[in-house]
Amino acid sequence: MCPVLGHLDGRFESADAEAEHRIAVLYQEFGGPLLRHVRKSTGNDLQWAEDVVQETLVRAWRNSARLQWEPSLLWAWLLTVARRIVIDGRRRKSVRPHEVEPPEVDMMAVPDGSERALSAIVVADALRSLSEEHREVIEQTYLRDRTISEAAEILGIPPGTVKSRLYYGIRALRELLRDKGVAG
Amino acid sequence: MHDGVAAYVLGVLDEEEHEAFERHLDGCEQCQRELVEFAELPDQLDELKNTASASDDDPPMSMSR
Repeated sequence: MCPVLGHLDGRFESADAEAEHRIAVLYQEFGGPLLRHVRKSTGNDLQWAEDVVQETLVRAWRNSARLQWEPSLLWAWLLTVARRIVIDGRRRKSVRPHEVEPPEVDMMAVPDGSERALSAIVVADALRSLSEEHREVIEQTYLRDRTISEAAEILGIPPGTVKSRLYYGIRALRELLRDKGVAG
Repeated sequence: MHDGVAAYVLGVLDEEEHEAFERHLDGCEQCQRELVEFAELPDQLDELKNTASASDDDPPMSMSR
């Protein structure tokens, strides 16, 4: 039984104590895996990664209904929340030009560099085999840290079109990577 | 609304839309399924970002050198 789903009625002296306990339980359950995941996208900035995990779990605690989701959905949602927090942080940093850190070689998080390079090639190949329209919106949004609206302006097409192309592009990419045995 | 799931997973929606999609997600099984399906894709795309960081996509860095 997942402790996150347990009931705590009446065992705590205050709402604060209960909140603290619940967040501690979330840490136990998800803290480690989330931190390993987040570190990959913070350029091995451990302090930043820990802050991201903390904020992610606080948001999870605030959305207690979602904690009832089945594990794969809850995990997917947590990853998405964490990613969004990283992206927001990166955007804030890039507003101040001198604080943009160059990507570092990350020996801790990437024990096998050759494996990583190989999967990068597989992903690049898959991206190349998408239609121009699909590849373009993936490049102009996620790969360049831009929102749908920003990409729409640059591409000169409506935001709704970017969003829908992105959906079909991501679906196609997912299929391609699944065929190649990369996606889980 | 359903096609917002890709943009949501990638974190490229404006804040307001991001929150609106999240509310939609609570009641939409189709989007919940696709969220799970797409959840690992951004990480796979990140591998591309990391290895391509020295490319011509990055004018501010090459100009500063």
